[in-house]
Amino acid sequence: MANLKELRGRIKSVASIAQITKAMEMVASMKLRKVQAKAQSFHPYTEEIRHMIEALASKVSGNADVPLFLQREVNTVGILGITSDRGLCGSYNSNLLFALRKQVEELQAAGKKVKFWCYGRKGYAWLTRRGYEVERFFVEPALDKADFSAARLVGKALVEAFESGMVDEARLFYSRFQSMIKFVPTNAAFLPIASIAVGQDAKKQNFELDFLLEPDATTVFNRLMPRYLETVVFDSMLQALASEHASRRMAMKGATDAATRMNKGLKKVYNRARQENITKELLDIIGGASAVS
Amino acid sequence: MASELHLRVVTPDRTIIDRKVAGVSFQGVDGGYGILPHHAPLMTALAQAGVVQITELDGKKVDLFAADGFAQMQNNVLTLVCEAGEFAYEIDLARVKAAEAKAREKMAGLDRLSEDFLRAEASLRKALAREMLSRRGSGTGGLH
Repeated sequence: MANLKELRGRIKSVASIAQITKAMEMVASMKLRKVQAKAQSFHPYTEEIRHMIEALASKVSGNADVPLFLQREVNTVGILGITSDRGLCGSYNSNLLFALRKQVEELQAAGKKVKFWCYGRKGYAWLTRRGYEVERFFVEPALDKADFSAARLVGKALVEAFESGMVDEARLFYSRFQSMIKFVPTNAAFLPIASIAVGQDAKKQNFELDFLLEPDATTVFNRLMPRYLETVVFDSMLQALASEHASRRMAMKGATDAATRMNKGLKKVYNRARQENITKELLDIIGGASAVS
Repeated sequence: MASELHLRVVTPDRTIIDRKVAGVSFQGVDGGYGILPHHAPLMTALAQAGVVQITELDGKKVDLFAADGFAQMQNNVLTLVCEAGEFAYEIDLARVKAAEAKAREKMAGLDRLSEDFLRAEASLRKALAREMLSRRGSGTGGLH
């Protein structure tokens, strides 16, 4: 009898877990849709900025006025890791951090120092737990609500670190969103700006490479550069966010399915036990009745 | 139509305009620009905060606020890439006023050469440009 009661309790709790994970799944897919819409409306901006910088790069190449292009000997590498603030999103964070750890170990084996910048609480907790020092942890605004100005803040911090010589190279670590079920930990070079493919795109688009530039190439370029870096950061933030939500959606879907399956099994066991009980009671009653008569 | 150019105005949030117009004028960092169809290829930076005036194909004029942008003219397509951009009727005057007051307040307590001051000044300039445009659009005073 106690067994029956216990089973009833378990069925109930498993059902409510399924309900919660189901709700989380739906929330995650809605957020994912929102991020995707954001990424879509942001895409033309990135494209245009990229076109411009490509067109401009041919005009300023070989110009020493742009320190962000300068490759120097790498002693210290700055890494910006973008992870999620919350857990319950499957292997999203651990995959990324695994790749990050491998990279860091490689760099340290090569005798290079590594400094960290962090977006997302999970990554921060992971790094501090392992004794890495985090240069700066971006808390506000939360990645979920991050807009373009957040990207500007992050971009500026990295550019400053690069310009002041604190790091000789900056990289971005985030999960690139490939499809609803595939997110690839990505390690992208950020600074110094690697050679931008000059003219290739232009040829494709039938651009006239000979154009008026006012006031002059360096001025425009220096104003365009920060914008470009911001778009790169913002793009990776959106990618990371999309991956997070998609990953959580998947994890929660898995959890819901498992809970439903478990519930089914438990119900079967419960019903069998109940039937057994009834049969036993019936036998008792029949046995009692035949003894009386 | 013989004389038209394609105008694209792109911001991080959305593509505001992507269609044919008769002409565009805007403020660059070094002065005003007037772009007519088949303008020579050009690239320039837009003023920190300014008004983009669009002449539609039927001769009507539409004003647009644009901040921190770049203009590129290629193959009769003018692309304006800006951080912020909105039509005159989209501007919320109350919010702009609040932004203006905040910027002024910030500037009052700051060293004139500090970075914060410059930033506050930039936001003040943006607020004022928005305000002017909004007033002009609704015909409640302003410059024109």
